[in-house]
Order: sequence, then C-alpha cells, then structure tokens
Amino acid sequence: MENTEKKLSRSDLMKSFWRTVLFFQCGWNYERMQSVGYAFSILPILKKLYPDPEDFKEAFLTNLNFFNTNPVVGAPLILGAHAALAEAGASLDSTEGLKVGLMGPLAGVGDTVLWALYNSVIFTIGGSMALNGNAFGPILVMLLVFFPYMAVRYWQFFWAYRQGTELMKSLGSGGIARITELATIVGLIVVGGFAPSIVRLTTPLEVTRTAVIEGEEVANTVNIQAQLDAILPYMLPLLVTALAYWLLKRGWKPIYVILVLIVIGFIGGALGILG
Amino acid sequence: MIFTALVLALWAYICVFDMLGPNFIMASRPLISGFVTGLIIGDVQSGLLIGGTLELMALGVYTYGGATIPDYTVGAILGTYFGRGGNFETGIALAIPAALLLTQVDVANRFLNFIFVHRADRYAMEGDDKGFDRMMIYTSHMIWGLSRAIPVFLAIAFGQPLVEALTGFFNANPWINRGISTAGGILPALGFAMLLAILPVQQYPAFLIIGFVLFAYLKMPLVGIALLGIAIALVFQHLKYSKAEA
Repeated sequence: MENTEKKLSRSDLMKSFWRTVLFFQCGWNYERMQSVGYAFSILPILKKLYPDPEDFKEAFLTNLNFFNTNPVVGAPLILGAHAALAEAGASLDSTEGLKVGLMGPLAGVGDTVLWALYNSVIFTIGGSMALNGNAFGPILVMLLVFFPYMAVRYWQFFWAYRQGTELMKSLGSGGIARITELATIVGLIVVGGFAPSIVRLTTPLEVTRTAVIEGEEVANTVNIQAQLDAILPYMLPLLVTALAYWLLKRGWKPIYVILVLIVIGFIGGALGILG
Repeated sequence: MIFTALVLALWAYICVFDMLGPNFIMASRPLISGFVTGLIIGDVQSGLLIGGTLELMALGVYTYGGATIPDYTVGAILGTYFGRGGNFETGIALAIPAALLLTQVDVANRFLNFIFVHRADRYAMEGDDKGFDRMMIYTSHMIWGLSRAIPVFLAIAFGQPLVEALTGFFNANPWINRGISTAGGILPALGFAMLLAILPVQQYPAFLIIGFVLFAYLKMPLVGIALLGIAIALVFQHLKYSKAEA
C-alpha cells in the first residue's frame, strides 16, 4: 500500500455518480457493450488519481474494456468500489479484476430484482389502472421509478466507496491479490452460466426418413435440435462463442469477428438452417 | 401533421435516451411512452388504453444482457397516434407489427454503435478526455435515438399506408426477419468471447465448466450460480491459503 489518505474530493465522486446516472448505456454496442459508458463514469476519478499524462492514458484505455451489468442495480456499486480501490493505490489489474468479477453476478441480481420483480409489480398496477382509464396509473409508476431508482443508485455508489476504503485500509497488497483472485473465480463461474443463457442459437432442421416396414410406409422424423441437446445442451451457442474466442485469440479485430457472426447468423437464419 | 410528427419523433428520442441513460421515468416502457403520446396529441384515453394493453403484453420483457426485444416503445407511440379518437383496434393492429419491425433496426443500431468505442480508443490514446466527454454527451445516443425518431416521423408524416406497405413487404419476405433475428441472437457471443479473452481461462478452466453445468444441466438461475460461485471461490481460497500458511 502506497498510502491510504484521501485524494478524491466529494465533488469528484459526485461527478462520477452523475455521469453514471445520466449516460451509462449511451454508446452501447455489441463489441464492448457498456464500455464507453463505464469509462465516461470513472474518468473524473482517473483524472484526479493519475496526474501523469502517460499513466492517465493507460488507465483510460484499460477502462474501455468490455463491460456489461445492470445499469441501476450493479453499475453504481462497481463504480463506487472501483473509486475506493483506485484511490488506495490498487493496480489497473486489480480494478479490472474487480469489474470483471462483479459485473456478471450483479447483472444477474440486478436484472432479476429490478426488472423481473420490482418493475413487473409496479407496471402491473399502473397498467391495470390505465386500462380502467385512470391517468394516475402511469403517473404513479413514474414516481415509483424516479425516487427509488435515484435512491438505490446513490446509496450503492457511496456505500461501496466507503466499504472499499475501509477494506483497503485493513488489507495489505496480498489481500488485494486475494480479492482479485476471488472475484476472478466468481466471474468465471458466472460467465460459464451467463454466456449460454444469453447467446441464442438453435436449429429448426428436421430430417424425415421414410422406411418400408412390413409393407407399410413409416415416416420417421428426427429433430436435429433435440439430438444436439442430448449430446450437449446449448451446443450451438457454445460453438459460436468458442469460434469468436478462437478468432480473437488469433488476433482478429472484433469488428471482423462481428461480421463473421452476422454472416453466419443472417445466412443461416434466412435459409432456415439456424434460428 | 408535420408538427405532430416532429414532436412525437422528439418524444421517441427522449424515450430512447431515458432508457440508455437516466431511467428517470422508464419512458421506454409502453405504458409511459403511450401515456405521454396521449398527452401530446390531446387524447389521454387512447394513450392509456394502448399503452396499458401493450404494457401488460410486455411485462417482464427487458433487454437482458443486450438481447433485442420487440420495440413496444415506438409501438405504443404509433399505436396511440393511429388509434386516436377511439380507434383502439386500429391502433393495436398497427402497434404490434411496428414493434416487431423495429427489432431489425435495433440489431442494426446496436451494431453501428461500435463507431463510438473505436473513437473512444483514439481519444484514450491521445489522452483527450475533453473530446471523449463531448462525444459521450452530444453524440453517443444519436444513432440509437434517430433510429427510432426517424421511423416515428416518417410513419406519422406519410401515414398508415407507409407502415402497412413496409409491414407487408417484410411479411412477404420472412427470410429477412429470420436472418436478422438469428444474427441478433448470436452477436452477444462476441461480448462473452472478449470477456473470456481477458479472463485467465487457461489457468482456471474448471470454474468455467462448473458455471456451464449449473446453468445447462441443473437449470440454476444466475443469482444461484453467483452465490454458489462465491462459496466455491471461498472454499478454494481457504484450502489454498490455509495449506500455504500452515
């Protein structure tokens, strides 16, 4: 630990917080998803902590890596913790480890709690009122979104910042390496489950064979997808993810990998081989 | 007509921005986008009915992990506009195909946004955080926003025949739909591949397999996988470090 004194002011943190709130998913793309939104949010912190222009460039570039999590429950927490770790002198490897380790689990938690549960409840109530011609329905929903969403983001950001600072005070640099390893393991396990849950690829192909058994014609239809599932569930999503990984490892630029995926998907889908 | 088309196109842009950024009022949900459209065109009842109907159809439908879903936001705006004055059936009959049609646009704009991340790399290499800030504040939402604002403007300015002609064209050529939606389904593979490329997969392949088995064979929800992941990581570290320290 180089030092644990405060280098970030309240206004640095507030700047980072408001950038998270206002622009987090702007520029979202298939290549690196929320990458630019994350970099934009953490930039006021990096600017303060890396006065040397070369260090700042390196930190800026590193924070443009792939990132994706829930923007309301998840992103503010990771940013708050990141600010605390960076302030305490954690390396870029450690903060990247923190981001990669937390984004998957928090995407799962945030999407489930916020979208699937909370929103479903308030929108069912608001939608039913609207169908009865009651304009208070959508107004109620807007209020039940605005205040709780702002509060939960603010609380997460500053809670994670305080916790991160405390944690860094009580741990040595060996402790940071351990936390990074822990987060990496959790990240790998979550990605192992997350990737097949989101990459969507199946085949509608069926093979029909007619055979003559005891003088009667019997048609036997084989559903290819069911056969594939019996060998390995989510085989096609795995194959396509592995292909993309292999191409990237061979030094392909992401944009060319995207074009390969589009060509496979479009032609396969148009011909009815894939779906 | 043109004025209404402009105002509703602006509202579509605001809905997109609220979804990408602040989530202040969840304007991208059909209940909200339809209701406000009703306020704008002076027919709140149509906004409530169309928005509410689409909302209950779309409950729990969100863009988990960057997946493309039918665009009920624009569906509710156009449905409310064309269903105004009590033509509920017309509105809904137009809203749903419009929402489905725009899934094609969604895949395209999520792809085209790679422009911003490449420009961001250049800003970072030059250390130009001011230029990057300008890009984020003024242009980073433009492709997505205009990809909804322009169809809303055209649909209202040129009216129902245009929407019906377009829908008819795509219905007559279902292979276009199939191709684009399949491509949209596999594109998130790239994001995961990039994530795997920066994670130490070769050092710890076992953990990746554990996660896959939990999801694919045991059908465990992601929150369960995350909790079990934390437990496994804690046990792993306990065994590793208690041995080293003993």
